[in-house]
Amino acid sequence: MHIHELNPWRTLIALSAFVVLLIVGFLTMHKPLLTYEKSMSESVAALEDSDAYFYPWQLEDVIGNKAGNIVLFDIRDNFVFGQGHIPGAENMSANNLTREENIERLKALRDNGTTVVLYGEDELHANGPWMLFRQVGFSNVKLLLGGYRYYFEHKDDLAATKNDDSYKKGIARFNYAEMAAPEDGTGVKHVAKQPVQVERRQKSNVAAGGC
Amino acid sequence: MNRNYIILTLIMLILAFGTLFLKMDDELDQVDPEILLQEIIQPTRYVTTDQVAKMIIKGDPSLMLIDVRNEEDFQNYSLPRSVNIPLDSLLNPENLSYLGIKGTKVVFVSDDDIKADQMWVLTKRLGYKGTYVMKGGLNCWMQTIIEPQQPSGDASYADQETYSFRKGAQMYFTGASAESSDDAKVEVQVQRREKSSVAAGGC
Repeated sequence: MHIHELNPWRTLIALSAFVVLLIVGFLTMHKPLLTYEKSMSESVAALEDSDAYFYPWQLEDVIGNKAGNIVLFDIRDNFVFGQGHIPGAENMSANNLTREENIERLKALRDNGTTVVLYGEDELHANGPWMLFRQVGFSNVKLLLGGYRYYFEHKDDLAATKNDDSYKKGIARFNYAEMAAPEDGTGVKHVAKQPVQVERRQKSNVAAGGC
Repeated sequence: MNRNYIILTLIMLILAFGTLFLKMDDELDQVDPEILLQEIIQPTRYVTTDQVAKMIIKGDPSLMLIDVRNEEDFQNYSLPRSVNIPLDSLLNPENLSYLGIKGTKVVFVSDDDIKADQMWVLTKRLGYKGTYVMKGGLNCWMQTIIEPQQPSGDASYADQETYSFRKGAQMYFTGASAESSDDAKVEVQVQRREKSSVAAGGC
């Protein structure tokens, strides 16, 4: 017979204290700011979703205030933002993206159905943050194709960019195979020996000429 | 007497049951989103076409080039020693085995840098280290290595150096005939030095 069996109440008190502790622990568990809502395979598939992109010609309505519920976020540095940005854009520089207030802001915008368009210096700049935000469930975040640089070059006639594909990515601009083909049709390794032969000739010249 | 033991056993069973719900997803290990975001905003993952060319020419054994374009494009043209892993088949276990090898530098290559960068973000989420993105992609490769543009006469010395390296790399990758006008420039400089030493030291 154990000592505690003499007093069953003591066990019960210890037990309830234990259970209360567990419950408190679960309730106050640290809730991460961001969690993945798309699995890896969903994230790969989501890159094909054309709804996740924002085209330069669509900016015209945003700048003219004709499109409601769209906010532009400029992720470049505050300094560069000050030198020029798309009219109406807000600055949320890349280094501050992880700040809690910015994440809360994005959550609030998502909840009231506002579309967020991210842009950086070029498309590549905003590509990473855009992907991450989509993966953690901000399905209202879109990526401005071409980035600020393309906008800046075409800001006088954005409507004309509808027929332009120079900002589009994932397109081969050259015929690689033709351009890089070895000129005499031989393999790269074979041809690579040539420069060495040239050097040899130079050496023999020095020896023959004497000094 | 045994009531206490029964209660204890019940609690243990409930807790054990609770652990079943702790790990709902059987996905691969993933980096915390906040840490991933912090890594994304660093520009350290980009390497230039010149750096990649240098590594290929030197035969750097730690370099692994991964081409993320589709198979057809890859068959048509690819960089020497590169492996094809199309972006949409990344999660194939066979393809993942190329990643995360200690001491290797994995460089992702695509037409430009967007797809390669997307590949980088996805592999980073899976926690792989030592991955890079070739900035500008194959379009930039063509413009800088395969058909380098000669800098203007008053360009900086560094620009001239880069150009002469690219000219050499062009020969390595295409076997282009050495265009004498460009190479002569470099050689002339060398010869000049020789002459001056002749004058000073005597022969």
